Amino acid sequence: MKKTLGIILMFTLFQIHSFAQNSVSGIILDGDTEEPLFEVVVGIKDANISVTTDKLGAFRIDGLADGVYLVKISKKRYEVQNYPIEITGSSINLGKIYLYKDASTEQDLSVITIADDELNADDGFTDNIAGLLQSSRDVFNSAAAFDFSATFFRPRGLDNANGKVLINGIEMNKTFNGRPQWANWGGLNDLQRNQVFSPGISANDYTFGDIAGTNNIIMRASQYGKGTRISFASANRSYNGRVMASHSSGIGKNGWSYAFLASRRFGNEGYVDGTFYDANSFFASIEKKINEKHSINANLIYAQNKRGRSAPITEEIFRLKGRQYNPNWGYQAGKMRNSRTRDIEEPIVMLNHYWNISEKTTLNTNVSYQFGSIGNSRIDNGGTRLVTNPNGQQSYIGGARNPTPEYYQNLPSYFLSFYNLNAFNFQNAFLAEQEFINNGQFDWDAIYLANSISTSQGHNAIYAMQEDRIDDNQLSVNTIFASDITQNIRLNASLNYRGLRNQSYAELTDLFGATGFLDVDFFAEENSNTVGSQLLNTIAQSDVRNPNRIVTEGDRYKYNYKMNADVASAFAQAQFSYTKVDFYVAGNYGITTYQRDGLFENGNYQGNLSYGKSEKLEFDNFGLKAGLTYKISGQHLINFNSAYFTKAPTLGNSFENARQNNRTVRNLQSETVRSLDASYILRTPMVKARLTGYYSDFSDGTDINFFFTEVGGAFVQEIITGIDRRNFGGELGIEAQVTPTIKLKGVAAVGQNTFTNNPDVYYTSDDFGTARLTYGSGKTNLKNYHVSSGPERAFQLGFEYRDPDFWWIGATANHFSRAFVDVSALKRSDAFAIDLDLIDTQNILQPSYGENDEINISGNTFNDYDENVARGLLRQEQLNSSFIVNVIGGKSWKLGDYYLGFFATINNIFNVTYKTGGFEQSRRVGYRDQVDEQSQQYGPVFGNRYFFGNGTTYFLNLYLRF
Amino acid sequence: MKTNKIFQLTFLLIAFLSINSCVENNDFDTPNISVDPVVLGPNDVVLDIGAVIAEYNQRGEIFTYESLPQGNRYMTGYVVSSDEGGNFFEELVIQDKSENPSAGIVIQVDVSPLFTSYEFGRKIYVKLDGLSVNVSNGVVQVGVRNGDNLAKIPAPLRAQHIIRDSEIAEIIPLPVSISDFSEDKENLYIRLTDVQFSKAEIFTDLGRPLTYAGEALDQFDGERTLQSCADNSTVTFSTSTFSDFKSLLLPAGKGTVDGILTRDFFDDFYTVYVNSPEDINFDDENRCDPDVLDCTGPVSTSVVVFEEDFESITNEGQLDGMGWTNINVSGGSERYERNSFSGDSYLKISAFGTNEDPLEAWLVTPGIDMDNTTQEELSFNISTNFETGKILTAYITNNYTGDPLTTTWTELDANIPIGDSGFGDFVSSKINISCLDGTVHVAFKYLGADGGAETRYHIDDIKVTGM
Repeated sequence: MKKTLGIILMFTLFQIHSFAQNSVSGIILDGDTEEPLFEVVVGIKDANISVTTDKLGAFRIDGLADGVYLVKISKKRYEVQNYPIEITGSSINLGKIYLYKDASTEQDLSVITIADDELNADDGFTDNIAGLLQSSRDVFNSAAAFDFSATFFRPRGLDNANGKVLINGIEMNKTFNGRPQWANWGGLNDLQRNQVFSPGISANDYTFGDIAGTNNIIMRASQYGKGTRISFASANRSYNGRVMASHSSGIGKNGWSYAFLASRRFGNEGYVDGTFYDANSFFASIEKKINEKHSINANLIYAQNKRGRSAPITEEIFRLKGRQYNPNWGYQAGKMRNSRTRDIEEPIVMLNHYWNISEKTTLNTNVSYQFGSIGNSRIDNGGTRLVTNPNGQQSYIGGARNPTPEYYQNLPSYFLSFYNLNAFNFQNAFLAEQEFINNGQFDWDAIYLANSISTSQGHNAIYAMQEDRIDDNQLSVNTIFASDITQNIRLNASLNYRGLRNQSYAELTDLFGATGFLDVDFFAEENSNTVGSQLLNTIAQSDVRNPNRIVTEGDRYKYNYKMNADVASAFAQAQFSYTKVDFYVAGNYGITTYQRDGLFENGNYQGNLSYGKSEKLEFDNFGLKAGLTYKISGQHLINFNSAYFTKAPTLGNSFENARQNNRTVRNLQSETVRSLDASYILRTPMVKARLTGYYSDFSDGTDINFFFTEVGGAFVQEIITGIDRRNFGGELGIEAQVTPTIKLKGVAAVGQNTFTNNPDVYYTSDDFGTARLTYGSGKTNLKNYHVSSGPERAFQLGFEYRDPDFWWIGATANHFSRAFVDVSALKRSDAFAIDLDLIDTQNILQPSYGENDEINISGNTFNDYDENVARGLLRQEQLNSSFIVNVIGGKSWKLGDYYLGFFATINNIFNVTYKTGGFEQSRRVGYRDQVDEQSQQYGPVFGNRYFFGNGTTYFLNLYLRF
Repeated sequence: MKTNKIFQLTFLLIAFLSINSCVENNDFDTPNISVDPVVLGPNDVVLDIGAVIAEYNQRGEIFTYESLPQGNRYMTGYVVSSDEGGNFFEELVIQDKSENPSAGIVIQVDVSPLFTSYEFGRKIYVKLDGLSVNVSNGVVQVGVRNGDNLAKIPAPLRAQHIIRDSEIAEIIPLPVSISDFSEDKENLYIRLTDVQFSKAEIFTDLGRPLTYAGEALDQFDGERTLQSCADNSTVTFSTSTFSDFKSLLLPAGKGTVDGILTRDFFDDFYTVYVNSPEDINFDDENRCDPDVLDCTGPVSTSVVVFEEDFESITNEGQLDGMGWTNINVSGGSERYERNSFSGDSYLKISAFGTNEDPLEAWLVTPGIDMDNTTQEELSFNISTNFETGKILTAYITNNYTGDPLTTTWTELDANIPIGDSGFGDFVSSKINISCLDGTVHVAFKYLGADGGAETRYHIDDIKVTGM
């Protein structure tokens, strides 16, 4: 296990002076059994010396010149130990040195498994625990990965788009949203143990990185120890079972090595109802060591993952149905069927060339190609048919309501949202409540019935299954140079290119028994200015070049476009290591270009507004970082890191509504990130601790949201630009080995993540053409609101007992607080106070197609607007704090050449109900509406939606290695 | 060798576990959605729609069907409304027979859409026990009781109250003429033959026909006028502003309309709703508009032949002595009155607040001598206020008998604007009358009703020029 950080010292030191000249000696024992360990490698890197221990576990190194050295003691499956010594004409006997079984051999497996199990990758809410997996020996990061992740805790409040994931040095973060798509390599855990994690913005040999850290997963056939591993896991969180088998050859005599892995994860239902899990993964790697200088490795990574999705729910729904409720599923002919699924299948092939130019210089060149698709399915309820007026004009009739069982008009709150409630309202509310409790699942029969009726009349489908497809083809090429130009100076450099050719479209995947679906926009409507002009025929078209198409299963419809993204970057870094001080400085420069190419000519955006190529966006970005570690002594270290860099906006945040048009976001800018952290690290035989303070500042961020709002009565895109925010806080991790078998640990994270300005916000919609709608000042008053980023405070107390007889158990108690819901920007804009009833919105919200047309609505404040009331209505909801206890334990046996083991975790053993996050709905956000909504005796109709944490769950893994 | 065994073992283990790891997420069977004929129990009672209406008429107020000691009480009918086009909302109109129906009724249901379950022609059984009957918006309806009013059947109860039968009938529209409309034809699927939309709605100032319900003034429903070519009788044709076809233009020709006969929201008049524009079959492009005066050739303004701007009068009574005819012919007293605004005098007529239903009033100019001039042009200004229907018509004659009702009039193609809910502006009409000789009289006929079409018109600046 390679580690670049966190040299762990765990030894007992007896320093006995001898009269021999300049030698180092000692005896290495197993920390659990106190048996001598032979063939332990003891090396002094700076002196280029390496010896192994004899059968008594003893070693001795002679002939050292005076100086300061780092003694590295390593043996396979044991923790590496480093011990700094200073020799000045004398000998040092290090005495008995205890090596401990590499806890990560077992723990890593569990950590990765948990991560894999819980990385839901639901948009925007993915935990950022990915990068922490390998730093599990840092007590803070270990807690964040194991125990905090279930609450959406994000270390330092950072989204995982602020971290980088690499495989063999190639960046894997998606261009679309900057986030790693963990499903692309899920289920390969046993062959992903070799990971190099650089926390924060610290020095990294491969890439400039980002402030949430860089994680390089090394997947090379030659790097896997020879052996076979089989494991079986059972769980009730996201999947029910997992089987995995892998085999690796080690390096053969002829220089060939290979490794492969196959796994399957499956489950008809996770913790949340109706969330099936169906994933198959396959990995093959083959490497040839051509000679001492050259090796070539080839990988195929194929991870297919299909899951049933769940939905965030309101407090009312939670009260009626509980946290496991999922409105997306219902029984179809006796089988559970989920109406919203996600299907990810994006294989990766890569070639890696490793060239040892000299003993001190390496050049690693990689080519990777990723292809395949991501599909998200949902019900399309806008099926219509074409009817012709006697005068030849056409219109589209049909369509249905959103069929979700939790539609607001199905819930009791809706029936109790009227004034002057009487017995009848309560009776209706009661009926709705009973209906929802007893039959609150998706009604597939109704879908099929509607289509069957429609078909029998010779009409089109009313409902269809729509799959939103993202087909990415990405070529990545890079070359990574490293050279130790002196004993103290290491130079890194890399050149990277990444080209993405994407196609995004909706595909009709199920007609539910009908024969065809009319591809027009059911919601298209003429406004009072264009009434009678027969515009409807045009604006309703998804593609005016193929109007009124009847589509069937497998056809593309609704929208269809390509995206091209090209990113080229160069990185250089120098690392200096000296006895007292290590420091580094690095720089990065990149050019990013994006372009959309419309394949459908949208009826609302004719000609080049939607068809053909968009403007080409280009962003030039640079970054600088520097850091320093000062070693006060071997036991006390101080570490600083700082960075200043700019980041191109993601592809997904660059176009106003890529599904409909070529328009790019107004005043789109790169985000500037400034970050600083400082740590004090303590390493004594008894206590290890790290205390870190951090400060990160972001400016000119961009965000786009999509929703239907009654403010203006339209489906809108909310485009927020110029977002400034700041994260600062502290992290403390401390662990004490109170006895050789018992370890106590304590962890604290305290932070504050807030917006620091009032960003610009505007709205676009096909209802107003290319015009941009702003309210009042065109700002959203987000300043000092918290960025919804999981609990800002998390505390842990825990212990671990590690029995010499190869079993272990641990437990942690965790407290989380100060998590905030995501606030609606529309509600904090001037739209909140404007009485839209006083404004002729019918006439103002007309489509216009000027390049810079802007519609501004301002003034007309509600005449009953009360600042004090408003303040209450705009308060950001803070989620309740929660207290969660987790237990983990395991045991392993060695049977001849076989290692057999298991471990199990039980999370949230007290079955605590808690919310992990939530967001405000932007549907009814005017002042008076909010007064109504928030004063509703029986709860709001459009209340906040929440994500709930799991109740008590278990995970059990059995493994066999040989 | 040993390795091989291990691989075999591994393979078997994986195979075994994989077999048990099937996930059901595709290959779903189509649900069974077939409908069986409704089978009633021995104690069940089936009522005709007519019987339900009769019971209401007998009681004269809202009533509720209580449960029977044994069995249930049902009403059957065929669905004739469809909310597919959005012209009906959360209601089903059913009639007792698919052909020659004799009674129809509305079922209020808090479910949308309904056409995806209860399509046009579907026979349904309505379990009446627990439901109430009342007249709402002028027609008999079934729903649930909320105080003294009728409310929609709550969605959770609809499955137990509205039961689909396997029969889907072909609905034959009932031929009816506008003059035969009566209470017993309400809620029936009828056919009007040889009808057209009124001329004023087809030939408008907008340069296009009106839309079904997409005009800025249309609130809740767009109300248009269907006119019988046979007898000039008219009926309101309503389209919801929530319908999918509201912004289509009214078709110009004439032919048949199949729709549901009902009453307007305020129960003031009969109106017809269609399920979709497909139910309008105007295959005859020729309209049956009355002939209007159609003179051609040049007109001139060099000589003023006749002019009246009403500035010299202070009371309409003064007109009586100036050769004008200003009379109410419907038995009431309301006639054209002098009025002024900002110093401008004009004549005003409105049925609003008159208690007259109908109100027919004529204004006829004094004789205008056309023999000494040529190239004559008639002009006048009209403003429309508080629009509730176009009820003013302009005529001309050169053979005035002194009684507008015995005179043979030729209609004028006048610009009578469609107003809104407030005051309107004067709009001028300029009509070529050069082909007339002798002494002509120009007339305005107002035909309205208090509480019904009661639009207020202002008439001013009547002028004839020539050379």
